[in-house]
Order: sequence, then structure tokens, then C-alpha cells
Amino acid sequence: MKRTVMGALVAAGMLAASAGNSWSAETVRFWFHFDNADNPMSNLVAKFEKQNPGIKVEAENIPWNSYYDNLYTSIIGGNAPDAAMVKMFAQPRLIEMGALEPIASRVDGWADKADIDSNLFNLTKGNDGKTYYLPLQYVVLYLYYRADMFKELGLKVPATCEDFREAAKKLTRDTNGDGQPDVYGFGFRGGKGGHDHWASLTLSRKGANLAGGMKTDAALAGSQFVVDLFRKDKVFPPSAPNDGFKETIGAFKAGKTAMTIHHIGSSNEMDQTLGDKVSAAPVPECGGGRWTAFGDESTAIFAASKVKDAAWKWISFLSTAGNNAEFNSATGQLPVSTKDANAWTLHKRRFIDATVQSLPFAQLLPNRAETSDFVNTVWPVNMQRALTGEISAADMNAKIAELYK
Amino acid sequence: MKPNPSPPKAGGMALGRTVLPIAMLSPAVLVTVAIVFLPMLQTAWMSLHDYILFRPKSFDFVGLKNFIAALNDEVFWISLRHTLIWIFLTVPSQLLLGLAAALLLNQEFPWRGLARALIIVPWALPSVVISLMWVWIYDSNYGVLNDFLLRLGLIATSIPWLADPATALYAIILTLTWQGFPFFAVMILAGLQSIPRSFYEAAAIDGASGWRQFWHITLPGISGVLVTAVLLRIIWVANSIDVIFVMTGGGPGYATYTLPLYAFIKARTNLDFGYGSALAVLFTLMLMGLVIVYLRRAGKAVQT
Amino acid sequence: MIIKKRSLTRRLLTVDLPITVILAFALGPYVWMFLTSVTAKNRLFTFGPSLVEATMENYLRLFKTVGFWNNLVDSFIIAGGTVVVGLTLSIMAAYAFSRFRFPAKRGLLLQFLVINMFPVVLLILPLFIFMRQLGLIDTHAALIIANSTVAIPFSVWMMVSYMNGIPRSLDEAAMTDGCTRLGALWRVVMPLCLPGIIATGIYIFITAWNEYLYALTLGGRNVRPITVAIQTLIGEYEVEWGLLTAGGVVGAMPATVLFLIVQKRLISGLTQGAVKG
Repeated sequence: MKRTVMGALVAAGMLAASAGNSWSAETVRFWFHFDNADNPMSNLVAKFEKQNPGIKVEAENIPWNSYYDNLYTSIIGGNAPDAAMVKMFAQPRLIEMGALEPIASRVDGWADKADIDSNLFNLTKGNDGKTYYLPLQYVVLYLYYRADMFKELGLKVPATCEDFREAAKKLTRDTNGDGQPDVYGFGFRGGKGGHDHWASLTLSRKGANLAGGMKTDAALAGSQFVVDLFRKDKVFPPSAPNDGFKETIGAFKAGKTAMTIHHIGSSNEMDQTLGDKVSAAPVPECGGGRWTAFGDESTAIFAASKVKDAAWKWISFLSTAGNNAEFNSATGQLPVSTKDANAWTLHKRRFIDATVQSLPFAQLLPNRAETSDFVNTVWPVNMQRALTGEISAADMNAKIAELYK
Repeated sequence: MKPNPSPPKAGGMALGRTVLPIAMLSPAVLVTVAIVFLPMLQTAWMSLHDYILFRPKSFDFVGLKNFIAALNDEVFWISLRHTLIWIFLTVPSQLLLGLAAALLLNQEFPWRGLARALIIVPWALPSVVISLMWVWIYDSNYGVLNDFLLRLGLIATSIPWLADPATALYAIILTLTWQGFPFFAVMILAGLQSIPRSFYEAAAIDGASGWRQFWHITLPGISGVLVTAVLLRIIWVANSIDVIFVMTGGGPGYATYTLPLYAFIKARTNLDFGYGSALAVLFTLMLMGLVIVYLRRAGKAVQT
Repeated sequence: MIIKKRSLTRRLLTVDLPITVILAFALGPYVWMFLTSVTAKNRLFTFGPSLVEATMENYLRLFKTVGFWNNLVDSFIIAGGTVVVGLTLSIMAAYAFSRFRFPAKRGLLLQFLVINMFPVVLLILPLFIFMRQLGLIDTHAALIIANSTVAIPFSVWMMVSYMNGIPRSLDEAAMTDGCTRLGALWRVVMPLCLPGIIATGIYIFITAWNEYLYALTLGGRNVRPITVAIQTLIGEYEVEWGLLTAGGVVGAMPATVLFLIVQKRLISGLTQGAVKG
């Protein structure tokens, strides 16, 4: 079945797309998502258009929770933007769709290439060896903790999983005398996106690995450790199975949890709310290794674009020193431009230090098409079932192994 | 739906009687057929194929494979069970609350106009906003519901309403009841207006009690609207996923999966359009069965 | 029921009190939302929402920097357009269903229901391609058409049941007086089922006002209704609670005010007409 209704429609859509785009030879349609509602993109667009007369940038802010759904729909429908902000987990799918434009030669001919750490280019390379992504910003996850509570209880920042467990148990306290704990040791994110928490406690262990290493004892020990923290030690808030980032961060800011894992993007808000009471450190070492998530964000050009040269000018503009800093002061993440990073003052020193100390063991999830499903459905569903006692930690790991088989 | 035979008339009117209804119907039919019906048939066609959106080149005919896979899928049955609970709890709760509100709003009291307008607020709010609001209300750390119940002494510890598989679905049902009851209130209120006052006057003269008036005048008077409103609401509620999606995303585990949500996640998150389409087709067929049974029963109840 | 004279106390107990309870249930979360929207960001998580040190900053930001006003206008055009298109088509279709006998009538009525039973998410992709071919992506027309198709089936069913409640003898009387069919629809049936039309119009307005998935996919940079704008406030790592709730508070107002204006019509239409007829 080669010729089909869908196929014909897709083809027709592509035709319509090419016909529709021919008039706008110098308009770059760019998609982005921002955690900043005040529309700071328009300044950068104005600056770019002034430097590049003849190119118009139409930057569109797409809601984050529908960002990729919408991107895939528009690609299939033949109406993809010319360039967009993209993350690594989507790359295998986009490559498989043939949607991305290789940009290696453009990057090599770019004057500011040397300003970006070459390691970042290696990290964002496609699984077919080609370069499709231009790094834009990054974050690294680390442990936030309540320095005041640690001091009060005479605790040290946990260096290993065992320390972490002991500290979490001590930090889980009833402070108002009603017989119920009202501060919990660790704010675990059990909802979608929380795999980073689990991974720091599980994939750190020697022998545990998403692709091919989920049936090992090390992986089981990790998942079991997480489940036990919740079910036996009760050091997570009872709502942990469903908590997303807003609940975990909210609970931490409200003083309901004493530790959580997140990145520098939330540090300013935490600092505003908690002041010196909050500090940061790399995640603990578990089972002989460390694992923390590298949160990437890049830009890419789409293969169907008719204005690739203009699109490249725009995305390279965003990663150039100065512009990159301006972009990141809006998103609250860290610039990829070395010059900008050295002059960075937006975040408090202690959070930058925790990020830098975490970089050596920061990792990405496997660059495979299955990773999207792992992040979006397989991990959250099975983690939640394990936390609520419907399945065991071993069952959970088996489901993940099945996905990556 | 009771057919209303028009009295036969002679001559030139006959042509008008065949052409006019067609002319009046065709815009609505054409636009729905083009925008919904054809895409629906395409989707049904997709359900017979292996079609994964990020592999647009492979579109292989696999017959009923997706349907057989669905029937052997544990999650399909879990979702089906939740869908039934979801429909059979939400619709009656919305109906009863809406009916009570409509009857009260039909009484005369000084601030009636204001009360009528305010009642639709829950319905007038975007789903994403109310979902986030209710997530916050249910929150076990700083949610207002737990706070309230703790102060009243009704519970001893905070309950993680949305994180506990035993309560999550019911918590969302309460939210949806809250969101949807104004629909019934407005529809029933409009129906109540169509009952002539003279009926009540006559009944009052006969000395009928308020309850008897309700039973013999009000209820028959609004039965047509009631049957239709319930029917439309069953379909709407069954398909309603935005509130679940924002509040729990289906979790914890599969505790709040309903069939349309499962189809949504399969198609939109996992990009498995073949399987997602099969789920959607199965769901539509089952819902159609339910609706036909309902129409038969309700149709009879109204006519007798 | 309405006729009986009642004492004030009795009215307070049987009407005002219960309706207050229902309203408290209906409005509680809305009030909570309003409180959140006027609470300063740094107080929200430490003290919770309250009127203490209330600030209008979120509303100012919403309209000044976020550009919520344009989103409101888009939503208005789309919802208003959908009401006009959807209501016109549904009234015509409902009149045909209610007053004529023709083959496949039941089948057509069921067809309308079936298309509302199908999960919308799977219709998005074909619809997107269809609209792309028509060149309607990112226009109000695309969303008015799409939302109308969602609204028409329900509206037709609602209108048929209201119209069936109006005695056929009334249109026949008008027609013997020299009215055409359409004249009878316009002069007799429409005024009589005005409460139903209003209720259905409100239904269509609210459905179109709150629609998200079509708005996201078929809209774009030029057409961006409030549901999409509000969704952009929920970021990857941060929820703009203040702006989000302010958007919700503002977003619920048009439908509520609209209903406040038209609700009197809910009373007047049919009862008077029926008595006169």
C-alpha cells in the first residue's frame, strides 16, 4: 500500500506548502517556547532585522505542553516553520521523518563557532553522525537543599545515596505537633518529566543503563531505592506520584520539602522566596557513580524551508555572544557562548557553582526514537504504578527494558 | 425523536416540501461532512494500517491487527472501565445539580438576574485554567480542600486526592461536575420557560401540591429538553479529556485513563496513529451503541 | 409554583439559601482564582493567596506586555462568528428536521451525533491538511468553520427539541394568513423559541470561547485566542500563576456578562407568545 489517502493528502499538503511559501522569500518563520510571558523575543527580532535588512523574522511562541505535538503536525501537514527551538529527545524522530537540514558546513564556516564549547556540538550530534542542532542554552540538574534545616539538625550535604536516605529521614519532621509530618525530606517528581530524579538515583549505579541495562541488579536496586523512600521511609510528600515540577518546586518554596532536584532556572525565584535558606550541591553518588541530567536546548533548520540561508543567519544570531546572553536572561538558563558565560551575572554564585561541579557527569538520555515514549508515557506510568504499589520495582524496570529492547 | 407528519397538501406545495428541507439542511450537512465526516472516514482507514507519524514512509495495510491488539491490551480494558464510571457518575451529578439550580433560578427573587449570570461562571472558564485551579485546590501540601477538611476535623491527615489511585478519578469527576452543571442549568431553565403559566394556575386552583405540580407539569414540560441535554452531555462528557489531561495526565499509573484519553496519548504523544485511530473507532462504536440504547429507552419514556 | 404567595422568610429559606449554597460551590474556585491573581508573586507560596497587600500588577502585565487584549479580540471574533454561522445553519436544519418529513431523517440526525462522538484529536491532522489546501491556516475563518462543525450537531439537536415543543398549528395558522414557510419560521417559530435560541447561542459561544486544540493547530501568529495565550503561560519549568489566574478571571467575564444581558430574554420569549397564540 504505497498510494493511500493519507499519502496523497500529505503530498498535496507539501505542494500547497511550496506554492504558498514562494512569495515570502525572506521571511523566516521561527517557533520557540519561553517560560517568560513578557515577550522578550521582540527585542532580539528587532535587532536582527536591523542588522539584516531584507530578512523578516516571524517568531511564534508555542505553548510548551503542546510544542512537539504541534511541530510534528505541522511537519506532516507541510506547514513546518523554517527554524525552531528543539531538544535532543525529539531529534531521532525528526531525523527519521527527514525533517531536519544538516548544518555541519554552515557551522564550520561560522565565525563564532569557536565561542561554543566543542563538547556541546558532540553532545547534540545526530545518531547518524551528522550535525543538525546548533546549541542555544543549557542547564544541569543538581540538588537544592534547605541549608537552615540541615544546620538545625546538624546534617551534612549528602555525598552518597545512603547519606541521602539518612538525611531525608531526619528531615521528615512534624514541626507543629499534630502528629503528622509537615516537612518531607525530598520533593520527588513522580509525574511526567520526573525521570531525571529517578535517573540520578538509579542510572548512576554501575551497570544500570536505559538501553540494555535495565534488567541488572544495579538497576533494580535503584528503582527499589526510590520506591522504598516513598513507601517504607515515607520521606516524599504523599502527593509525589502525581507531582509535576510546579508542585515539587512549589512545595520546596513553601517549606514543605527540604530537598529536591532541579536546575538553575528556578534558582532566582527560590532565592527571592527563601534567601540564604536555600543552597545547592551536586546530586549524591549512588552505587559507585553519579548521573545527572543535561537539559539541552538547540535550534535547527527544517529541510522543507525555502529560506535556509536566512534561517541560518537568524539561528546563528541567537547563539552569538551578546545575543545569547540576552536570550538566556529571558529564559533563565545558561548561555552556550563562552564569552557570555564568563560574564554571566544573572544567577547567584552558589547555583552556578553547583552547575559547574555537576557538568562532568551530566548526561543525556539515549539518542534513540524510544526515548520520547520513555519520557512521556513509559516512565511516568510505571513509576507511578510502582510508587502506589500496583506493580513492583522489578516490573517497572522490565517495562522499561521492553521499550528499549 | 417523534416524527411529526405534516398534513398532506395538494399541488404546487409538494415540490416546495421536498426542495425546501433539502435547501435548509444542506449547508449544515455539507460543512459537517467536509470538516468532520471525511476526516473521520480517513481515520477509520488509518486504523487498518501500521501508521506511525514519525515514519511517514511506511503505511502498511495490516487489516484488523490494531483492533485485535487493542482487545488484548490491559490498558484498553482499564480505560473502558474508567470511561463507564466517568460517564455514569458525571452526567447524573451534573444533571441533578443543574436541575436543582434551574428550578431555583426559575423562582422569583430580587437578585435572580445576577444569580442566573453567575451560575455559568464555571462553564465559562477555559478548561486549562479550571484544571490547574483544581489541582491546586486538591494539593495535599497547601491545597485549600485539605486545609478545610482538616480544620473541620473530618480527616486526620492530608489526603493526596489526585496522587492516590483510589480517589483520583472521583476527584476529577467532582471537578467536571462543577464545570458542567451550569450547562444543564441553562438548558433546563430555557425549557422551564416554555411551560405556560396557565398550567400552574389551573393546578393551583385544583389544590395540587408543589411536588405534584413538579411531577405532573414541570417534568413532562421539560422532558424533551432533558432527554436531549442528557444525550448531548453523555457524548460530550465521554469525549472530554482536557481536564483529565491537565490534572493528572491519566495518572497515577493508569488510574485516570479513559478511552479517548488513551487514544489521545497514543496518537499525539506516542505518534502511533494506527493504534490511536483503532482506539478512537472502537470508542465511537461503543458510544454509538450506548446512545442508541439510551435513545430507545428515553424515547419511550418521553412518549408515554 | 410561581403563583403561590409566600412569606419572605419562607422564600429566603427555600430559594435564597439553597441558591446561595449552589453559587458558593460554583464561585468558590473562581474567588480563589481571583485572590491568587491579586497576590504578589513572592507572597503566593509563603502566605498563600489573600487580599493582604493586593496588587493589580498581574492584570497590568497581562494587558501591557503579554498583549492579552489582542487575544481577547481574536476570541471574540471567533466565538461571535461561530455563534452567527453555527446558529444560522442549525436553526435552518432544525426547522427542516422539526417540520418536514423526508427520507433518511433519522439517519441524518444520528449522523450529526456520530460526528461529535469521534475523538477530536484524530481529526486534527486531516483537518489541518485540508485547511492548508484552502489557504485558511492562521485565519479566523478556519477556526470559525472548525468550531461551527463542533457546535452544529449539538445545536441542531437542541433546536429540534425546542422547536418540537412549539405547536405546529401556529405556523400553519401563519401560513394561511399568507406567510411563506420561511416567513412562518422567521415571524412565528423563531420568536417562540427565543429562549432555546439564546441557550443554544450561549452554548455555542462558550464552546468556541474555550476551544483549545483547533485554536492551537489551525491558529498561529496572527490568530491566537485566549486559550492558546493562557497555555503559553504554563512554561516548561515555571507556571506564571498570577498571569494565568488573571487571564482566567478576565476570560470568564465575556460569557458571563453576555449571559447577564440576554438572560431576561430567556423569560420573555415563549411564555408570552404562547399565551398570545
